[in-house]
Order: sequence, then structure tokens, then C-alpha cells
Amino acid sequence: MFKKRRIYKLCASAALVACAGAMPATAQEIIKLGLSIPLSGAAANWGKGSEWLCNEAAREIAQEGGIKVKGKVYNYSCVAYDNKYNAAEGTRVAQALLNRDGIKFIGGSLGTAPVKALQSLSEREGVLHMTTAWGSSIKGPKFPLTFTIMNTPNEITVPLIGYIKEVNPGIRTVALLNPNDASGQETEVVARKAWAAVGVNVLSSDWYDRGTTEFQPIASKIAATKADVVDLGGTPPSDSGLVFKELQAIGWKGVKVVEVGTGAEGVIAAGGNAADGVYMGAAVVFEGAQVTDKQRKLNEGGKAAIGESLNAVQLGFYDSVKALKAAMELAQSVEPKAVAAALPNVKFNSFYGPSGFGGKDTYGSVQQILVPVIVTQIKSGKLTEVRRIESAEMKARK
Amino acid sequence: MIRNKHVAMTLTVIALAAVSLFVRDAYSSNLVTWMAIAALTATSLRFVSLIGELNFATAAFYGLGAYGAGTAVTLLNLPFAVALLAGGVVALLVSAVFGYITLKTKGPYFLLIGFAFTEVMRILYTRSDWLGGNSGMVGIFPPSFFGAYFSTFAVLLCGAFIVLLYTIERSDLGKVFMAIRDNDNVVLSVGIDVHLMKVACFCIGSFVAGIAGALHGFANNVISPGDFGFLLSTFALAYMKVGGEDSPYGPITGAVLLVGLGSLAMRMGAGEHVFYGAAIVLAVLLMPKGIVGLAGVAASLGKARKSGKAGNAPQLRTKEGRSHG
Amino acid sequence: MQTALQLIVTALQIGSIYILFSLGLTLIFGVMKIVNFAHGQFFTLSALLVAALVPWFAAHGYGVTLAYLFAAGIGVVTSVLLGMLIYQFGFRFFQRDLAGSFILSTGLVLLLEGAFLHYFGGAVRTVPPLVSGNVNIFGVNLTSQRLLLGLVAIMATGAMYWVLSATRFGKAMRAVSIDHEAAMLQGIPYKRLAFQGFAVATFLGAVAGALLAPISVITPVLGSDYLVKGFIAVIIGGLGSVPGAIIGSLFIAMIESIGGFYFDPSVANLAIFVLVMVVLLVKPNGLLGSR
Repeated sequence: MFKKRRIYKLCASAALVACAGAMPATAQEIIKLGLSIPLSGAAANWGKGSEWLCNEAAREIAQEGGIKVKGKVYNYSCVAYDNKYNAAEGTRVAQALLNRDGIKFIGGSLGTAPVKALQSLSEREGVLHMTTAWGSSIKGPKFPLTFTIMNTPNEITVPLIGYIKEVNPGIRTVALLNPNDASGQETEVVARKAWAAVGVNVLSSDWYDRGTTEFQPIASKIAATKADVVDLGGTPPSDSGLVFKELQAIGWKGVKVVEVGTGAEGVIAAGGNAADGVYMGAAVVFEGAQVTDKQRKLNEGGKAAIGESLNAVQLGFYDSVKALKAAMELAQSVEPKAVAAALPNVKFNSFYGPSGFGGKDTYGSVQQILVPVIVTQIKSGKLTEVRRIESAEMKARK
Repeated sequence: MIRNKHVAMTLTVIALAAVSLFVRDAYSSNLVTWMAIAALTATSLRFVSLIGELNFATAAFYGLGAYGAGTAVTLLNLPFAVALLAGGVVALLVSAVFGYITLKTKGPYFLLIGFAFTEVMRILYTRSDWLGGNSGMVGIFPPSFFGAYFSTFAVLLCGAFIVLLYTIERSDLGKVFMAIRDNDNVVLSVGIDVHLMKVACFCIGSFVAGIAGALHGFANNVISPGDFGFLLSTFALAYMKVGGEDSPYGPITGAVLLVGLGSLAMRMGAGEHVFYGAAIVLAVLLMPKGIVGLAGVAASLGKARKSGKAGNAPQLRTKEGRSHG
Repeated sequence: MQTALQLIVTALQIGSIYILFSLGLTLIFGVMKIVNFAHGQFFTLSALLVAALVPWFAAHGYGVTLAYLFAAGIGVVTSVLLGMLIYQFGFRFFQRDLAGSFILSTGLVLLLEGAFLHYFGGAVRTVPPLVSGNVNIFGVNLTSQRLLLGLVAIMATGAMYWVLSATRFGKAMRAVSIDHEAAMLQGIPYKRLAFQGFAVATFLGAVAGALLAPISVITPVLGSDYLVKGFIAVIIGGLGSVPGAIIGSLFIAMIESIGGFYFDPSVANLAIFVLVMVVLLVKPNGLLGSR
């Protein structure tokens, strides 16, 4: 008897609470941005930094008043799941983000295999997909809802190698080394062509598996080729540092390049003074005259959160959020297809300054973010910017 | 209590398939498919354990099945059913050769040779550009008439194979396998070619693992080399152990539970790994006979209480597992 | 010919870490007949602690060598304590249960790796070398730090041999690994021995990690990278055999050195796995393995 009454009371109060929760709190609405990133394993820090930057960008937008579309105010919230850098987990993450959580915008994705898994679903379900994956095979008119939010080897290699040849005119030969993973494989193809284009002969192109800890044998092999340049392509910073250290111990001297190298700290930490002189194409400098206060502050926050400076891959996750805001306001819509149609026409402030989207000539459709290629070099243990090459398309639009 | 265990199992499969019909939203539907595939993989592992060997190469054959089916569909444009079977057949052929050569080793050596083979295959996939290399193979789609009912198909197919494996287990052939596990010298002395029997068991298990891999390819549409590393075999082993290796329902239970748990854990972002690892550790420590084992103990306790023989403690096996000498 | 000598010396350098790693693995298998996948985590914890504490000690005014010794001490002790904890609450119940112990250790790997990532962060760390500079022996170049590592590995191996052959403890362990039931009949306290064996193995792994810190970059996933090679070394040599572990480690190191030089590291990796399979086919219990 008593029990029944109690149950009725509980149901009533539960219903009230549910109603209260269902009522819109204010006119503000939240748009969830899904992130498919590695949060464990060797690439965990990349994922962590990416998630932090997405949240930072969302926070900045909220402080500035949110996104205003058709009289409503929207704000972003970032939902990140671990894709463990393979397709199977990438599929699980894609299913959870798109089907379980009903997310319509992917703020960023990392890792070619999980990105392909995500793309397979996002294009079919009409979800806008911002990605940092590099392969050309994920772009093109077949994938109208996919956009790349950082420079890929296609954008970086030619300006970088052109600059290096200009500053070191005597170089004739190069030895390539790449990790046996997606970034390595994609970078190597582009690098070969770029070196050949400036008249530098590719003597050898080697591969090592991720997880290799001993680099003496391969360093010996590379040193034996007596190449003028050693190009480590898509090798991660700490491995690069180790390779250069071994090369120095063997006595090799020459021009050192990590084409799509993203962070100097790892190279310097692992390589010591062997890291001096290394050229990198995807690293960002946070000290010096060209760096704005805002950029410096962002990096300080990031460093506190993940233990090392931010890199171009993670910054893509910041830029994509800003780009989405601009596109939503331009299109005055929060429907993915409409936003995707607006992206080629937006002009917004990315981390690097005024940016937009382009790349039609290379990829067949406008899907590539236009940010400058920053050529950096490690000098006396510090990363310095030596040339900033604006995107030609961006310059043409000014 | 249904006398015929076969009927019981078949009915269970049909019941589960019926349940899957009611699962309509895309995410849960996928979850059901993954659970079915995981259950089949764990059952394949358990099948090979009938000869007393821990088949760590399960992931390699699963991967061969996936790439086999994927190649059949994307590169050779073969129809769905053929591709699915092709995955299994590729796994079968390779397993015959591999098994014939390696089943001379036992226990931890066989385990680690399977481990090495899995890594070799994984590295080979990454270096094969025609398979997509590190970036993976895309476009493995099941025919569109399945629509949202692919999950039911997966449950039925996996269920059918699980029943098939169970049938073999209970047949005379299965008894030979178990005899080999207990003491292969005795079996040899009766005149049975032990090595050939071991290879047969291994091939059957690997064929099934290949089918599971092929289904995986169709369920996910995209596969990459990293999907088929040793962790896959490890998880299959976890499903089997957590569910209970003594019962054929064990791998199914373990698979459903752990895949479901994994889905929940994903919400934790970076904490997923820790949570999942902790779950496995706790399960193994607290339930050495798995969930089904626990249920069995509970059932026999219940029976003892009913029949009034409260004084009889249920027969508990020792915690020491089989010795792989 | 200088190249050949250089390659051999490189192989010896690479092999020394593998030896320290695999000695622990083979010891655990010999005594408890289990395969401990989580062995790499003790290695990693020790290395991470050294990498985290050396700068701290240095900042408090200690010299590099002293800072390193303190940090290494703390690292090794913590790792061994973790090992003993894991044994008491985990592996103790799974002796001679291959499948169960394997799953347990896998769960532990996931758990510990995630924990390390959380507490130490994913950023890469390094430790300044204890002794810097290169030495030149017979025309072969070697960093002094690696030479030191090699020497310690030799000493550790020598110590293991001595313990196994000359001390009661060592003989008891050998007896147990040959036939544990007979050993128990002889009055050897098996449970205590298993515990001690596990502790010694963990100690070896932790020392390897502390020694590796100045040479390599330290990440939370370091252990997994070495684990695979360590297992291969142990299988090739034969589970439970100390000389086997040494031969297996050197074997892998030679392939890595030669294969990496004449082909590339990825091919060398492939070759190692294929060779494991070949060795096992010829000698199903490893080169020096016993049942």
C-alpha cells in the first residue's frame, strides 16, 4: 500500500525533472563537434593537443558571443573519441559520433586509416568532415563534404625543397628515410618528385617500422651513401632526433631536412646538438618578432596542458572550428550541406592570419585550407622561422 | 531442461537474431554485428583449444579473411556471397600450410609462433600498395538489399557457424581432438595420425576466423593493417576467458559483454584504455571460470539447496589451468 | 672490414638491452611457466621515473651522475614494488595457466599504459647521458654511454650465471623450472621461490629501463616496443633458458644490425619474424629450450 504511493510520488517527481531538463534553457544551442583522434599509444599527445585546441577555439567563440545564425545563438562543444590510429577503431568512433550521438559536424580527424573509415560514413550520411589526413585519395569531387585543415605534403614539399636548394645550391644527392605508416608513404611519393624537380638525385629511399628503437644500422646505411642531403620526410620528431644523432656520431655532415616535421622540441631533445641546422616544413615558431601575443599565449596554454609546444597538426583543429563559425555565419545555416557550400567562399582568421579554402587545381574541388608554408630551421637549439611562403591562391584573393 | 543441446543452441541463435530485428537505430545495429563477429572469433579460438593449443594466429587468419573478401569485392568485383566465402577459403588455404608446418610445436612456442606470424602478415599488408598499404582498403560494401538488416544476417551467419563448430565438438571428431589435448601419445598409440588431426582442427578454426574477418570487412567497409595485429587475438582470448572457456556459450557471453563494455568505455576518451584494461584484469581475477562458470556454480548451489543437501559443497575445480608442458 | 666490425659492435650494443630484457622474461617462464606480457611496463616505469626525476634532482643542486643514481634507484625500487604487488594480487593465482596469465598481463598492459600516459604525459623525454663523447676501439666508433651499457649487461649476465649455478637460490630455481613437483617433494618452498623469481625478473627489467634512459627517448609506450623483440629473443633461445635468452637476443640484434644496414629496418623486422618461425620449425623448443 505504502509502496504504491511511494512509487507514484517518485514517478511524478521524475517526470517533473525530465520536463525541466527538456525545456530549452535559453535561446542558446549547442552544436557538438566530433573528433576522431588517437588518445592512446604513440600518437596520444597529438590527440590530446588537438582536443585541447578544439575546446580552446570553442571557448574563444563563446566569449566573443557565439555563432549567430537566423537570430539564434549557437556554441560549440567538442566530443572526442579514441580512434587508436586504425580503421576498425576508426569505424567504431565514426559510428558512435554519427549514429549514436547524432553529430553532424566533425571538427577534426587524425590518422589516414581511421579518417577513411570516418569518411566512408560521413559522406553517406551528409556529415561535414574536417580532417588533417594527408592523402590525395581522400579529396576530390567524390567527397564534397570533406575538407583538409592543415598543409599536406602536396602544399609543403615544393616550396620547402625549393627554398633549401636556393640556400644550398651545391646539393646534388639526397637519401630518404620514412616511417612505414600512412604519413611516411604519402610524403615519400611527393618528396621524390620535388627533389627530382630541383635537380637533386634520390640515392635511396628506406623505411623503418614505427616502434623501432635502434637507428644505428639505418644511419650507417644512409651515411654510406654519402648523400648531400638527408630527408626524413614524415618521421616523427623524436625518431628524427635519434637518426641525426647517430648520423653525427658516424661523422656524416650535410643538409638535414624533416619535411613534414611538426615539432622542434622532440628533435632537439633526442638529437642534442645534432639537431642544429635541421629544416622543417610543418613546425610552428612561438618565439620571435613575427609571433603575436595571442599566438604565444595559446602555445603557453597548450604547453601547460600537454607538456610540449603545439604543432601544425593540432592547430588544424583550432582553425577548423574558426572556419566552421565563419561558414555557418556566411551560409546563415547549421545544415552540413549548406555550410559545406559556403566554405569555399569564407575568409576567416586562422591561427596564422587571414585564410580561406582553395586547391581546385590540385584536387579537383575546393577542399584545402590555405595557410602559409612556414619554413623553419633549428639554429643553436632554437627553432627559427626562415621563410614564410604565403599560399599563392590566398595572395590572389587579397 | 531441453535434452538436445543442439536444439537449445540453435533456438538461442534464432532468438538472438529475432531480437536483432528489433534493433533499429544504426549504431546499435552495428554494435550487434560487431558482437556477432567477436563471438564467432572467440568461438573459433575456443575450437582450436580443443586440441589444447592457444591459437594466437587467429588475428592473422581473420585479417586474411578480411583482405581476401575485400580484394574479391573491390579489385575483382566478385559478388557478395562469393567474396565472403573467398575470405574464408584464403584463410583456410594459408592455415593448412601454416598449420602443417607449425603444429609440431606446442604450448607457449605455438602461441608465440602465431604471434610472430600475425606481425609478419600485418607488416606485409602495410607494404602492399595494391591492398592500400598503411592507408587501408576502402569500399567493401555488402549488397544494398540488406539495408538495415545486415546485423540480423551477421547474427544468423555467425550463429550458424557457432552451431556448426559445436556440432563438430560433440561429434566423434571432436572427441578425438579432446583426446589429443589430454594426452596425444595415447591417441597416437591407437593409430590415429595426431598431426593430421591437429591440422584439421586448426584449419576448421581458421576457416571460421576467416569468415569472421570477411564479415568484419563488410560491416566496417574500410580495413587497415593495424586492425589485424596481435591485440585482436588477445581480445578474442579475453572474450573466451571472461565468458568462460568450458562452455560453448562462454565466448558468446564474453564477446557480448566486452564489446558492449568497450562501447561504453569510448565515452571516456582517454580513459578508455585504462577502463577496459581494468575490466579485463578484474574479470580474470574474480571470475577464473568466466561468467558462465560463475552461473554454473550458482546453479549447482541452487540445486544443492533445493534438494536439501546443504552440506555438500559444489565441486570446484582448482584454479590451476591446463598444463602446457 | 671495418664495416663488418662496426656492424658486430652495433649488434652487441643493441643486444645488451635485449639481453637484460629477455633474461627477466625467461626467468619468469622458467619458474612459473607463464608468459608475462606486462614485463615491458616495469621497464617503462623505471625509465619514466628516471627521466622525470633526473631534472628534479639536478635542479636541487646534485651533479648529473649523483642525480642519475638517485633517480635510477628510485625508479628500480618502485618498479620492483609494482611487480611484487602485481604478483601478490595477480600472477600468483595463475601459475602454469598460460591463457589466464596471458589475459591478465594484457589487461595490465592496457591499464598501466593508460596510467603512465595520464601521470607522465605523452611528451617525449630524454635524460642527459652519464658519460658523453665517443670512444674508438679497433677503429670502431662507439658512444661511451653505450659502452657503459654493454659493460653493465655483461656484468648482469655474469651475475645471473653465478646465481644460478653457485647459490642455493639459483639451484632451487633451476630445479623448479625442470620439474616443480619433484622440487616441492624435495622440500623446496615453491611459492616463496616463485615470488622471489618474479621479483628478480622485475628487477632486471627495471635496471634495463634505467640504463636505457640516457640512450633513447622515453615515452609511455617504450616497453611495448622492446617487449616484442624480447619475446622473440626468448623463443629463439628457448623459454626458460638463460644462455638461450642471450643467444636469442644477440641473434635478433645481428639481424637488426646487418639487415638494417644492407636493406632497411622494416625489412630487417620482417626477417626477424620469419626467422623465428624457421628456428621453431627446426627446433620446436627453441635453440636451447627444455621442457
